[in-house]
Amino acid sequence: MVERWLPRDARFKGSLVVAPQDPVGAAQEIRRIGSHPDIVQVLVSSGAQRPYGDPFYHPLWEAAAEMNLPVAAHLGGQGGVNSNPTGCGAPTFFWETHALLCETGMGHVASIIAHGVFERFPAARFVLIECGIAWLPAILWRLDADYKALRKETPWLKRLPSEYAHDHIRLTTQPLEQPRLMEHLWEPLADIRAEDMLLFSSDYPHWDFDDPHLMRFPPAWKDKILDGNARELYRLPARSPHLEPKENQGTLSLQAKPGRGGSG
Amino acid sequence: MTRYVVGKVTDLASGQRRIVSIEGRSIGIFNVDGRFFALRNRCPHKGGALCEGPLCGTALPVDGFTYLYGREGRILRCAWHGWEFDIETGQALVDPHVRVQTYPVTVEGDELVIIVYRDC
Repeated sequence: MVERWLPRDARFKGSLVVAPQDPVGAAQEIRRIGSHPDIVQVLVSSGAQRPYGDPFYHPLWEAAAEMNLPVAAHLGGQGGVNSNPTGCGAPTFFWETHALLCETGMGHVASIIAHGVFERFPAARFVLIECGIAWLPAILWRLDADYKALRKETPWLKRLPSEYAHDHIRLTTQPLEQPRLMEHLWEPLADIRAEDMLLFSSDYPHWDFDDPHLMRFPPAWKDKILDGNARELYRLPARSPHLEPKENQGTLSLQAKPGRGGSG
Repeated sequence: MTRYVVGKVTDLASGQRRIVSIEGRSIGIFNVDGRFFALRNRCPHKGGALCEGPLCGTALPVDGFTYLYGREGRILRCAWHGWEFDIETGQALVDPHVRVQTYPVTVEGDELVIIVYRDC
């Protein structure tokens, strides 16, 4: 990837895949490759042997924070050497399983916040890919309520779980949940200020991909979800159409969607 | 401001507490090593009888991944949902915006007096 794909186009960015079950090896790999200018995140699967806040993984977090790279967990990898897809056991059918794979994302969010990863490594960022977004408000409300009651279990935390999440956790939107009225999806997300936390993803060409031309994000959030949040997280250059090469300007004006208005 | 005599000093030995009712308010009075504290017996979280909860210490705020127990006898913990309050200030440990009402306690002769300001 580094030799063949990243040099082809400035818009191509790479993820650094590591094996989280070997955190020390993962940390070595992160330090070996992580300084490459087009490597923008560390990547693991959301299926795991234990949740990612566990101190077992702190060497990995330390290296990622040192290299200023977010750690992203992509849906999948459950079962086998990793834990079951759901806490109550293995589902039977594929669509049932696929819809529930997000459960591991919830576990990682809770674990990473509770174990104080963001206190210990203030530069740490966590990105959940393809794990859904609709559940996030409910989980953060629950985490805040239980933390307030049982603060003494995690005395290293200085802020509410939802505050850590807002500043350090990002979620990709695909596959976007589809209520009968989309406003019913956005309303609870607005409560946790999710407009700062969401990154558009297409998952093209998978069977359940989201077409950027058909997405209906709230108008006030659109620019952040489709563009600004990702630029900030991955330290991409600011979108400056007037600085673009002239031949790209026509394309750019048609491309208000997937956060790709890069320098081409 | 109104003074309420709630009993003799000798009625409340060190380590003891009493719940009294003043103008319809339930108030807990504590003797902690000879110092007296009074707080509204109602948790600002969900209305539990705060002053009937454990008077204990807690895991102090720390920077590392460790536990440091301290403030023994200075933390009042609601028995309903575990919210913790500083017995002296009434401040909730977890939320700077939440505080339980406290009342000054004075010793006048051999009497224990609580001072209640209007609307508190």
